[in-house]
Amino acid sequence: MPRWQALLHINPGATLRDRHKSYVDDKHFFFADNGASDPQAELQASIKALKPADSPARCRFPARYRFIAGQLGWQDPAPFAQCPDYLQWRQAVHAKRAVLVFPASYLNSPSSMFGHTLLRLDQGDDDAVWLSWAVNFGAVTTGKDNSLLYIYRGLAGGYPGRFNLVPYVKKIQEYSHMENRDMWEYTLDLTPQQIDWMIDHLWELKDINFDYYFFDENCSFRLLELVEVARPGADLLDGLRLAEVPVNTVRTLDQKGFVTARHYRPSKAVEMDVLRRRLSRDQQALARRLADDPSLANGDAFTSASQGEQAIMAELAYRYLRLIHRKEARTEEVAGRSFALLTLMNKLPATEPPVPAHVEAPEKGHGTQMRAVAGGQHESDDFGELTYRFTYHDLLDNAYGFLRGAQIEGLGMTLRSTESGAAKLQDLDVVSIRSLAPRDRFIKPISWDVKGGIERAWAGRYRLARYVQGGAGASWRLGALQPYLLGSLRVENNSEFSSFVTPGAGVESGILYHRGAWQGQLGTIGHYFTNGEYRYTSQLAVQWALTRQQGLRAVFERDDWQGGGEDEFKLQWRWYID
Amino acid sequence: MKKILIAAALLGSSTTAFAVAPGGPGCGWGNMLFEGKSGMPMHLLATIVNGTSGNATFGMTTGTNGCDTSGSLTYSGQSLLAMNGVMEEVAQDMATGQGEALTALSMSMGIPSQDRDHFNAVMHENFASIFPNQDVTAADVMTHINQVMQKDSTLSKYVTA
Repeated sequence: MPRWQALLHINPGATLRDRHKSYVDDKHFFFADNGASDPQAELQASIKALKPADSPARCRFPARYRFIAGQLGWQDPAPFAQCPDYLQWRQAVHAKRAVLVFPASYLNSPSSMFGHTLLRLDQGDDDAVWLSWAVNFGAVTTGKDNSLLYIYRGLAGGYPGRFNLVPYVKKIQEYSHMENRDMWEYTLDLTPQQIDWMIDHLWELKDINFDYYFFDENCSFRLLELVEVARPGADLLDGLRLAEVPVNTVRTLDQKGFVTARHYRPSKAVEMDVLRRRLSRDQQALARRLADDPSLANGDAFTSASQGEQAIMAELAYRYLRLIHRKEARTEEVAGRSFALLTLMNKLPATEPPVPAHVEAPEKGHGTQMRAVAGGQHESDDFGELTYRFTYHDLLDNAYGFLRGAQIEGLGMTLRSTESGAAKLQDLDVVSIRSLAPRDRFIKPISWDVKGGIERAWAGRYRLARYVQGGAGASWRLGALQPYLLGSLRVENNSEFSSFVTPGAGVESGILYHRGAWQGQLGTIGHYFTNGEYRYTSQLAVQWALTRQQGLRAVFERDDWQGGGEDEFKLQWRWYID
Repeated sequence: MKKILIAAALLGSSTTAFAVAPGGPGCGWGNMLFEGKSGMPMHLLATIVNGTSGNATFGMTTGTNGCDTSGSLTYSGQSLLAMNGVMEEVAQDMATGQGEALTALSMSMGIPSQDRDHFNAVMHENFASIFPNQDVTAADVMTHINQVMQKDSTLSKYVTA
């Protein structure tokens, strides 16, 4: 895309709305009346507006001025002399290095599961990045609106989207400290001159409204546009981008050769876990008690440990205290314990920084869409199956680069044909989210799941039933195994049942297994319905990651219901695509 | 799909979203409030659309926790300390003598990279006098840092009035 089009945010055909028009939804951004749809007319109007030496328009559009002055050979040694606000801002906002930041998903918050992207502007090339600027694109909401309607509006484009600029330390605190999200930082191959284009253009976007759509015109999409301004012709917006999943933004930039370095910033919870693993079980227990009672540091159990172990215990206790009280108002009592532990840490040797030994970059994980073919046998009936899933990952899909125990699936469909009949809809998943977060001595999250769609369920025969179900419980990690236990509720609309919706309650339990390319699940889920029916399904499934984009899955499943049961086995080849 | 996503989001996030800070202004050490967001729907929306509440900031003004509203946050040590939660990080880094918060502090005070290790070591040694108790304020801490630096032959030249 030429730079002029990039500066106007013209849609090159990447999304269906407003093709070949500007994404900017703000008349203040254009000089020409038809500027949003006619880049040529906007260019002529801009030349006219920016030409006079004392033009106030230059203060609002420094990047446009630079572009036109460069093209037309305008010579002005101080083109922005009349723009003190811009000059002052530019003095504060300058950068030598641009970094794409990807805060990964975190368990227990489905809204984060697709991740987010922002841009970081570093003033130097060292590691002092707290003082860098974070460029963030998000919807601007008003604090007084406080209802579900506003979440809906946020998703559906009801709020304007704007860029903002805050110190990066605030973003670290928000993501890594408050939400326990790992952050991935990708240095982009942009020269300081190219970054200058981007910064000048950012100033043009101050207080300018875009539409914000959760699925395509979101944070990630807008950042690709910014990179296009810095380096026109990078063709980052080639092709249709119907749902801009943030990890695909990272992949796009990586594939186009923009990524020169990758840095991993573990969340506070990950750091705590690394520290915890350096201690014996007894020492972990002692560290946990130390957080409640710092005077235990004078006891024999503590002082008999080595200096290094004492330091880890003190730091772990301190970090635990901060982690659980971070979102609460300050109390003198907690502050007192925190301070006592800090003083203890100060007297002990510094610990080795807690960096995990093995990390998996999210952009190296499997693609976001999936197609699958399967063959199998249900009782004595052979069947074949075709499956498509729009997004994203289930518990057994190739694990590399994904959070263990997390699943988010949207818009999946399976068609099955048997010997005895034509192809039929087997199931249609609208959404399926699972968060099996292991509990340990320090962190005790709740595991939960929620799922809704259409599936074949037994009621006299297998019938298509519309359902929503969800559960909550707990999960633990024992080496490669992760057992879980959840209470589960289900409401079902089934033509065989007398009432329109039939509620049921039950239990879900099982064990997950993960090692290398292998993932497995042994589990069962059952519901008793208010009309006296009951049903449960048990499953043993194993997936082997053949390659990054391919997996082979074997599933043995048994359905039981009042008065009967049937077995099924299938072998499925899963192919992930972007 | 959107509506169901919303319902799913609601069901799922209740455990984390209820942990919303109850408020209470002030700038004493240890006051770690999650600024700006109130209530579960706002928190969720903020996560979903990466939203900002009210006017978007644009680098010129940045919020503090009430200790300092000068806006020149990142360009003097004192205002950096006044940012929500930063003093806690600085305290932890000073206790151990290492970390990004300490690097950011030394950088914001204009200490060049060759003297930063020394700065870290001096801050580590003097932790007890910089953070004498849990009730110190950002201004106290800044005063104490300056006092400690004044006594050090290498660091005294970086002391700001």
